Amino acid sequence: MDAVTSATAEAGERELVITRIFDAPRHLVFQAWTEPGRVARWWGPQGFVTTYSDMDIRPGGTFRVCMRSPEGAEHWKQGVYREVVKPERLVFTFAWEDAEGKPIHQTLVTVTFAEQGDRTALTLHQGIFETVERCDDHRRGWTSTLQRFADYLAENQ
Amino acid sequence: MVQYDMSPDRLSTTFQALADPTRRAILARLISGEASVTELAEPFEMSLPAVSKHLRVLQRAGLITRGRQAQWRPCRLEAGPLKDAADWLEHYRRFWAQSFDRLDDYLTELQRKEKGHGRSD
Repeated sequence: MDAVTSATAEAGERELVITRIFDAPRHLVFQAWTEPGRVARWWGPQGFVTTYSDMDIRPGGTFRVCMRSPEGAEHWKQGVYREVVKPERLVFTFAWEDAEGKPIHQTLVTVTFAEQGDRTALTLHQGIFETVERCDDHRRGWTSTLQRFADYLAENQ
Repeated sequence: MVQYDMSPDRLSTTFQALADPTRRAILARLISGEASVTELAEPFEMSLPAVSKHLRVLQRAGLITRGRQAQWRPCRLEAGPLKDAADWLEHYRRFWAQSFDRLDDYLTELQRKEKGHGRSD
């Protein structure tokens, strides 16, 4: 267990930034984020079990996952993948669902994977956005380029 | 772990109000006590109406309240929404930190399996 974590969460900022070093090669860390069977193994707090998982991990693909807490409470989360750039970058929207299945408070999560020798430095940004449209406005400029890159990767594996 | 005491809309309003550096500076100033609009405007190269506009945003978000006196309407910091915003970030920070602990274990397990597999080949 040789993990280093740092997190900043200033009340005055509306973005959470967490950096963590994993003692594993980058391709493996990226796989753990982008293969549904693997994601289910770790995504959620200690003791939570993934009871439902529908993940379409490609740009524009959606996910919907249910986690059951040790007390038996179900927590649904959902989102849309925006960028899937193997093996270095993953961007998706993220929201918890309310009792009616409606997303509560959409956020945008950006995960970058950087090689550090045999280890991987993972940086997670989670930003708050009032609406998805607003976050689209921010990104429209260069997302299409990355989208083409991601499509190219998908076709040439 | 995902329930909040406040409506999501209110949280959005809080974060939107906090998104501006001038407004954050105003809030930082108010930590040391009440202040008038003129006092708050001093550090900024900004007209009083411009500062008043920022104050209205902060007031709508419930981050500050203003006194009733006609002339000197002191601005006062309200901690509630700030705490909610901090709690929101803290909730996600914990969520990811705990997930990453599990990811760490899982990656260790995967690599052990890979090595084991290599030896048996």
